[in-house]
Amino acid sequence: MNVPMASGAGVYFDGITSTRHDVLVVLKPAGLQISGHDGHPLNEWPYDELEELSAPDSLLRLGRLNSAVLERLEISDKTFAAEIDARAALVDRTGTLQRRQRLSVIAWSIGATASLLLVAWFGVPAIAERLTPLLPAAVERRLGSAVDIQVRGMLDPRHSGASFDCGKTATEVPGRAALEKIIRRLEVAAALPFALRAEVVRRDEANAIALPGGQVYVFRGLIDKAGNADEVAGVIAHEIGHVVHRDGTKAMLQGAGLSFLFGMLLGDFVGGGAVVIAAKTILQSSYTREAETAADTYGAGLMNKAGGDARALAVILDKIGGATEPGMKILLDHPETKARVAAINRLATTQAPSAFLDPAEWSALKQICGS
Amino acid sequence: MGLDAGGTATGGGVRFLGQRRSYWRLLIRGAALLMLTLGIYRFWLVTDVRRFLWSNTEIAGEPLEYSGTPLELLLGFLIAIAILIPVYAGIFLAALDLGTIGKLSGATGFAALGIIGQYAIYRARRYRLTRTIFRGLRFHQEGSAWAFAFRAVAWWAVTALTLGLAYPFQVASLERYKMRHTYYGDLAGRFDASALRLLLRGFLMWILVIGPLAFAVVVFASTIDWVALVDVLTQGGDDMMSKIEGSNPNLGGAIVFGMLMSGISMTIAALLYPAFQAVVLRWWSSGLRFGTIEVQSHLRMRNVYGAYARFVGYAILFSMAMGIVAAIVLGVIGAGTSIGKVGTAGEITATLAALIGYVIAALGYSTIYRATVLLSLWQLGMESLQLSGLSGLERVKATGRPSSAIGEGLADALNVGGY
Repeated sequence: MNVPMASGAGVYFDGITSTRHDVLVVLKPAGLQISGHDGHPLNEWPYDELEELSAPDSLLRLGRLNSAVLERLEISDKTFAAEIDARAALVDRTGTLQRRQRLSVIAWSIGATASLLLVAWFGVPAIAERLTPLLPAAVERRLGSAVDIQVRGMLDPRHSGASFDCGKTATEVPGRAALEKIIRRLEVAAALPFALRAEVVRRDEANAIALPGGQVYVFRGLIDKAGNADEVAGVIAHEIGHVVHRDGTKAMLQGAGLSFLFGMLLGDFVGGGAVVIAAKTILQSSYTREAETAADTYGAGLMNKAGGDARALAVILDKIGGATEPGMKILLDHPETKARVAAINRLATTQAPSAFLDPAEWSALKQICGS
Repeated sequence: MGLDAGGTATGGGVRFLGQRRSYWRLLIRGAALLMLTLGIYRFWLVTDVRRFLWSNTEIAGEPLEYSGTPLELLLGFLIAIAILIPVYAGIFLAALDLGTIGKLSGATGFAALGIIGQYAIYRARRYRLTRTIFRGLRFHQEGSAWAFAFRAVAWWAVTALTLGLAYPFQVASLERYKMRHTYYGDLAGRFDASALRLLLRGFLMWILVIGPLAFAVVVFASTIDWVALVDVLTQGGDDMMSKIEGSNPNLGGAIVFGMLMSGISMTIAALLYPAFQAVVLRWWSSGLRFGTIEVQSHLRMRNVYGAYARFVGYAILFSMAMGIVAAIVLGVIGAGTSIGKVGTAGEITATLAALIGYVIAALGYSTIYRATVLLSLWQLGMESLQLSGLSGLERVKATGRPSSAIGEGLADALNVGGY
């Protein structure tokens, strides 16, 4: 064999003690021979078992693959390090191997990201959609009571000593009776398998919400905005739609699913928390839109069945959608309100609708939260 | 063949060889990939960062080696998810309970996650130590992570109750526990710094931060007519606020004064934070011991302030750049809005633009912070060390096995990660 054999200086640690050995490294045809300065051979490593380890740029640090101890050989001479690199397949001074691995990691991570977003966009609502009907009504009621406590805690302003629910004091009771009349008429028309519970609560916003399990809250601000009792009835019919479609439960399942997907998997990267909240808001608002359209359809149908005027729902929707605070504009004041109004008006079929309340009852309902 | 403990040629025995430029490059590339991969790249970035910091730190002429891999971290994270899912599910179910369990679920969940967080911190330290190799031997850590977690949570409670005055005793106690169970090969570590000393060094800072708050509380307590206030609160009814104002005409002034004092206290705290960090780091480093090896730190406070000044400088530049880009983007979106109708698509585009802007800003500031403050603290902390008794390094024997990355995973999932 006439192959010129290079040799060079190195530092060797045997992995058993911390003693530092200044060694002579000889490049043999099959591997590295490591020997002390006195010529005493310490070890011989085959080239295919050489492993490059993390080290400063100025140093080539080698280990032995599958070795039980952490043997280390360090070469500081650049040309000698290049000689070893040329002989050992796993030593990768130029970083080509590593770059290739990184690229596949990056490509697959982007794939995983895309799949995560697709699951969040299509999968989570689909799962919530199919899971919700499987939940027994008792579980849903229980869920509803737990949510009720939270919602009351968040919404109840607790000022002026009056109770959160309207219709409790002597002056308010006639209004409560009027509300009851609307609820009964809708309940009969809807043929609900459970008792409907609706309350007017002391909040100034023009809004109404439905909780899982069938509790409906109408905010007093909505009663103030409404021009007649049919408009209030229309909103309650719309909320009954949410209850029947179990949208509240669905939203909770979706929220839990999204929290899990984004919160757990994204983990600790800066600003992760805020990104999760923002992503959830965007995704959930898109689910909500579909749910709103479905509830509109149900509400209009229920108004027809009850012999009322479905167009009243469109009227109040237009009022609420048109006049919101500047900050809320981007979410509410867009062409979709107009599309919803048009769709509801198309669904109105009752020829001679009968009013839900007579004028006296309507003015009592107006006073349900006092003057 | 010679035995060389090094040290004489390298001053204090510790050098940092890393180039700031390559660290910036590593972090900026990492931030871009974090964004593209929704954060999955973090296991690779963390490993790159540690490899850079470890292998550029030379102790007694020998650079450290970080042998952990991204796949280990990924696996640890997956294990942590498997453990945490039932915990989260349990807390969620408990919150739905209407009785006392439901009412207690928030506090219990908080305490449980706090303890698991401390457990994770200890286990993650164990992972990092067993992946730290020096002169062909690894470090390792024994001791019980649960024992540490309960101790840590109890100490945090004491520190909170004493308004931070117990902090030196907390750190000293926890560091004693950690270092007592830390080994380099068969060389046992210990922690020898006195908590009283840290208390004396930091006491003035504590007074400066707590003083204004305490003053505000005293002023508040002496100006308020408590009997009248309690009367009004128990009576309830309408116009509670005006009644309170009637019985306590100085209440508004006292509240304004309290807010002013809180502002002063927070400003002082922010200005003193680098000094506090320098004092703690110097005190902590000087307490580290491994067998006969002793460490003395000569960290200078003004250098730490310099690191923060660089951070502020870069952050201002970055904010200005972001501001210009945001103005252009807003202009484009605004022009689009005035021409056509704002549909759902436009709305989603605007929200997405805001979201991406937010992520870029968050990643940008965090990258600047890592490249200025964190790197400087590492470098200054290391270079200011003076090691003695290095002959003890010569004949250490190998012990210890690599531990799993489960602690790292838990720490990651719970957002309590360190370096």
